Amino acid sequence: MTAYIVDTIQVRPDDLGSYVDLVHDVAVPVMTGAGATFVSCLATSPALGEDVDLQVTWSFRDHVEWNEIRKNLVLDRAWHDLARRAAALRTGGTRRFFYPTEAKG
Amino acid sequence: MLRRYEMYSIDPAAPPAAVRHLADAFRLCGRFIPEVLDSAIGTNLSDAPVRLVWEHAYESPAAYQRYMVHPFHACILDRALLADSPERIVTSNDLNAGLVGYACDTPVYRLRAGVRRLVLLDVADDAVPDAVGALTDAVGQGTGGIDGLAVSVVAANTMASAWMDGVTPITGRPQWSHVWEQGWDSLAAFEAYRDGASALADAERRSWEGVAGGIVRKAASVHYRLLSAD
Repeated sequence: MTAYIVDTIQVRPDDLGSYVDLVHDVAVPVMTGAGATFVSCLATSPALGEDVDLQVTWSFRDHVEWNEIRKNLVLDRAWHDLARRAAALRTGGTRRFFYPTEAKG
Repeated sequence: MLRRYEMYSIDPAAPPAAVRHLADAFRLCGRFIPEVLDSAIGTNLSDAPVRLVWEHAYESPAAYQRYMVHPFHACILDRALLADSPERIVTSNDLNAGLVGYACDTPVYRLRAGVRRLVLLDVADDAVPDAVGALTDAVGQGTGGIDGLAVSVVAANTMASAWMDGVTPITGRPQWSHVWEQGWDSLAAFEAYRDGASALADAERRSWEGVAGGIVRKAASVHYRLLSAD
């Protein structure tokens, strides 16, 4: 099984570049170093006159592996710094875990 | 058994609904993770810088380890707690008591209703076992005649550094080396003790000076009305 953790966050259009840079330059090495796999970083258009939705997805095998990743993150000072920087840039957001589905057909 | 506490300060800007959701998730956690026993919450009434307290227990380290990998833990609880979560509503504070707890053979902590109080103790690293035993004895003997005190347990705070599996320390010595867990019949009973003339209340007011050779370097406490899932 592969599971996914999906953060859907909102940033002001002017902060989109900074947030995307933070994901690729800091979050990817911190998260992958802890054991997660980077899946994608997608954004809505910044030209719509509203905050941008940015969806960052990571994958891991299961909740046993996530627990190990979580431990590694909590013990990593860089992750705490990342968390502070990300919080300063976003205006809101959600975190959800997703799992594969199968059609009954 | 493992007795465990989580204590949080809350972002003043957190939506009240999100705070209620987290409190309910803690209180009702046992309905989703059967390994979580005696789950209860409270709003801290002391001047310590925490607001929401979650108390609970596990039958064994194995039960605790199943809680750690349960999806409800990762998906619902951590949503409001983890530092990088967009839905985090808790904040850092200088009490350094986010997670505390101890091992026990039976549910000696159990209190169905009333007021819970947790005294956090920083016992000197070089305190000899005899002195720690003297502290435990002093508390044990001192609580004998106190009206309304239904639960009194002194134990080493082993959970703070063994939060991954409940047994193995993975971080350094916690700020609070010991805890004194109390259960009171009522808030009035606790306040009568706190303001009373017993030797223990006096020791607390004097910051434990001289007790068991002066091994307590610092103390803090939280107390709250118990709100359980029942």
